[in-house]
Amino acid sequence: MSALTAVRNAIRPRGDEDSGGRGARWTRGRVALLACALVLAVLWVLPLAWALATSLKPEDETTDTGLHWIGSEITFNAYEQVWASGDLTRWMFNTAYIASMTTLLTVVLTAMAAYGFSRTEFRGRKLLYGLVMAGIMVPPQVLIAPLFAEMVAFGLVDTYWGVILPQVATPAMVFILVKFFDGLPRELEEAAYVDGAGRWRVFWRIVMPLSRPVLAAVAIFTFIQTWNNFLWPFLVTTDPNAMTLPVGLVNVQSTYGVRYAQVMASVIIGGLPLLIVFVFFQRQIVRGVAHTGLAGQ
Amino acid sequence: MTTTTRQPREATAPPVGPPAPPRGIRRHWSEHGLAFTGPFLIVYALFLIVPLIWGVRMSLGNDNIAGTQSEFVGLDNYAEALRDPDVWSSLGNTVWFTMLSTAPLVVIALVMALMAHHLRFVSWLWRLSWFAPFLLPSGVVCLLWLWVIYPSDFGFADQLLAAFGLEPGIGWLTDSRYAMLSIVLTTVWWTVGFNFLLYLAALQAIPRHLYEAAEIDGAGGWQRLRSITLPLLSRTTGVVLVLQLLASLKIFDQVYIMTGGGPDDSTRPILQYVYQTGFTGYRIGYASAISYIFFALIVIVSLIHLRLTRRSREENAS
Amino acid sequence: MNPSSLSPPGPSRRALLGAFAGAGALAAVGAAGCAAPSTGGAGRTRLRYWHLFGGGDGVNMAAMLDAFRAEHPDIHLEDATLEWGAPYYTKLGMAGAGGRAPEVAVLHMARLTGFAPGRLLNPFDLDLLAEHGVTPADFPENLWTRGAVEGRQYAVPLDTHPIVLYYNTDICERAGLLDGEGRIRPIEGREAFTEAIRAAGEVTGQPGLVIETLGADTVGPWRVFSTFYAQAGGTLLSADGSEITIDEPKMLDVLTYLRMLADEGLIVPRVDYQGTVGVFSAGETGLFLNGEWEVSTFTNTGLPFSMARVPNVFGSGAAQADCHSFVLPNQDGRGGATNEAAHAFVAWMLRNSVDWASGGHVPAYLPTLDEPDYLAMRPQSEYRGVIDEVALDPPAWFAGSASSMWLELGAVFSGVLIGTRTPRDAVDEARSRLEDLLQTPNPFGESA
Repeated sequence: MSALTAVRNAIRPRGDEDSGGRGARWTRGRVALLACALVLAVLWVLPLAWALATSLKPEDETTDTGLHWIGSEITFNAYEQVWASGDLTRWMFNTAYIASMTTLLTVVLTAMAAYGFSRTEFRGRKLLYGLVMAGIMVPPQVLIAPLFAEMVAFGLVDTYWGVILPQVATPAMVFILVKFFDGLPRELEEAAYVDGAGRWRVFWRIVMPLSRPVLAAVAIFTFIQTWNNFLWPFLVTTDPNAMTLPVGLVNVQSTYGVRYAQVMASVIIGGLPLLIVFVFFQRQIVRGVAHTGLAGQ
Repeated sequence: MTTTTRQPREATAPPVGPPAPPRGIRRHWSEHGLAFTGPFLIVYALFLIVPLIWGVRMSLGNDNIAGTQSEFVGLDNYAEALRDPDVWSSLGNTVWFTMLSTAPLVVIALVMALMAHHLRFVSWLWRLSWFAPFLLPSGVVCLLWLWVIYPSDFGFADQLLAAFGLEPGIGWLTDSRYAMLSIVLTTVWWTVGFNFLLYLAALQAIPRHLYEAAEIDGAGGWQRLRSITLPLLSRTTGVVLVLQLLASLKIFDQVYIMTGGGPDDSTRPILQYVYQTGFTGYRIGYASAISYIFFALIVIVSLIHLRLTRRSREENAS
Repeated sequence: MNPSSLSPPGPSRRALLGAFAGAGALAAVGAAGCAAPSTGGAGRTRLRYWHLFGGGDGVNMAAMLDAFRAEHPDIHLEDATLEWGAPYYTKLGMAGAGGRAPEVAVLHMARLTGFAPGRLLNPFDLDLLAEHGVTPADFPENLWTRGAVEGRQYAVPLDTHPIVLYYNTDICERAGLLDGEGRIRPIEGREAFTEAIRAAGEVTGQPGLVIETLGADTVGPWRVFSTFYAQAGGTLLSADGSEITIDEPKMLDVLTYLRMLADEGLIVPRVDYQGTVGVFSAGETGLFLNGEWEVSTFTNTGLPFSMARVPNVFGSGAAQADCHSFVLPNQDGRGGATNEAAHAFVAWMLRNSVDWASGGHVPAYLPTLDEPDYLAMRPQSEYRGVIDEVALDPPAWFAGSASSMWLELGAVFSGVLIGTRTPRDAVDEARSRLEDLLQTPNPFGESA
């Protein structure tokens, strides 16, 4: 069984996975297991909790020694300061715009390409597909030098498109979608052709709606990757106005020196958008990541 | 591992079309192939193929970042790179990080997945606490961990040590004995959740009747783990391992943000050296040459990956 | 699927065209410069200014910028504070290469040689600068000429910022190091300096001197070394930056002395830059060798302290220094109102540099040096005499603040201070790293 199939099996809609556990007996082994898991969970949450605690303290108490989780008062001062500086909102907007555009373009372009490769006979198809698949082995990180030179030549440094376009060229997503289309029965499409529909009509009206789950997986994975990407936006943006959130956070220093409560407040704000999305779309995200994760990257 | 472990849904979706499509619609399957693939191919060519080739050209020249010189110098850059001790030391750091980080990232993820799977209890909690960090941008993660471990007298980690009666004042990031370990620690916390999800998905794909049969045979928990779960996970482990190797080899963000490659370049990975020679030092031609040496390393690991997946696909097909 | 809802195969060509039009539009939008939207108001000139000043300097700079804004309602000034050091220079260089650089920026003068004047930087228009009241005669000649390359002015100096000696007046008073007026008595020679540190240390029961000994991208060890080595009369490179001129006995002598201070417990062990500021600011040590730019940090905390020139320990009063200067990063098609605003800005900052001097820097603009406001500033004017004796980096493309030379050598000398390298080993390593740097081809060719 391939890992890919395993994942695909796992993400198929099924009953609540908790259902098996509700009735299970609380043996001693199971209690011990639960204790271990809880310890691990606490360890994983601890750093975030400490950051949150710091961000809610008055600034002059952040460097006190001793593990004080709560300062003399709980204050949102740091958040107000960080927000008032305006940079975070600008970066948040940039990131959201860039991640959305990249996701939209990736989904549309890779779906079209995958459909073309999976469903169309045309001269050079095998060669082109092979060329695209070979690209899976090229990590974008090794192309940073020539890609930057290319951006300089195109005048795309410090532009949104300079950040977006190189991130759209992801052959792994084409691979995932080709595999999916290959497994899709052709009867529906053929029925539509019999009824006189054209290819584009069939693609947009039949194939795309049928592929919603896998497209969602590709979209989710792309969105997370783009939202969090550091290296490329870091290289292609130099103007703080054009930076994304992860890049701006580490490249621009606050005018008033190191203020730990403020830094932690910006960390919390910077991490929050995807965390909130995760809380609401846990299942979809878990599926999307697991599905694309193995084949992707 | 055979198709017996697959559930029947795939069977209803045959990978090939019906045997004989009516003649009239056959032509549809040959229409607009280039129109469908064209837009992607253009982007792909412009932003992957062109830089890949342009990079080769640059690696053979004395190009600078300002584009004011671009003379052909043959293999000089490659010769210089192979003689450059910093190339070797940063490659060494990259491999060292990969070795240090891969094992915990795979093993801890497996342990987490086994726990979550067998507990079948508050599964949202495990997903939230272990996977959520993966959703944070590297900048956020690194600033967070800098705050946790870096300040030597009031840092959280040191105070935690002190609370347990241990000696605080460890130079987490300033002492070359600990700096790389701190980077590994941060990375494990950040990305282990991804592998955890992959394992969890694989575990959930194991049909329950296998366990039920074993239970009837009187197999205990450990025995079931050893004789059913782990063997069935071996393929997943192979793939997770290779993906992790590839991801670890590309380390950049954490080091750049947390130590800048220091102390005394002891944590500087190869990608950061590429960045330093090409962008900080403006020698973008030389940086390209180093990139391609690094690329060779990646390709070797990728080929192993390809072999693994192909083998698994073939087994899958049988 | 209702067949009637599917129209005949008409839209295919349109979709195809649409796809290509879309791709074309992307390119067009990119070419038209879909830069991040500017926030400049209508009818105002947008002036972007980058600098690397954090801490006390950042506060002073922010105040000056606000004053500039108040006086120039027609200019929309956008300032950005980027991460100090190599990250700043990397970004500035890449912005110049990309052609969308800010209108004006700060650059350390010693980095000018390596910054591709002519390609990554545009020259100043001296007539325009004169219109705003600033001429070459307003600067020390050596500083002004350092900003010129092949007859064109690429950098206009703002200040000189040397290494100085900070001293805690309480501790030094008790250690008997002060004269009747509360100033530190002149210290001359290494024995005297060692004794002074020892005396300051005995007051607090801790090491008497704090200097930066380690850290990521550590440059403190280089600064301290460079100061003493320059005092001893040593040089690293020939005047044209083409040959190594290391004086090994002198280098070994300085490093052995620094190691001795560490071994005897006279300097605070294992402390990075932030740590040094924290230690001195907490009143734990009497003496602190660092750049003068932390003056506002200590003024704000109410620490009893003052500053003086670095003592003559090795034969002269030289101190390592660099200069902040203004530059015009490369913009495709620089000129017009924005360029004029950039010149006006630079001239204004210079004419008001007495405010900048409150942050500790010695102004480069000569009229400011004579201003009573500056002379009355204590301790900022105490060490101004050092500018005649500052040790600037040789004009090599790999030199200057946070340059590869500083980082490479800083890491080597850090090893001496924390005990992982012997002075002898450090001399050899320094020579070998310098040789590597010299052998590295200048990315901008020999002419640059």
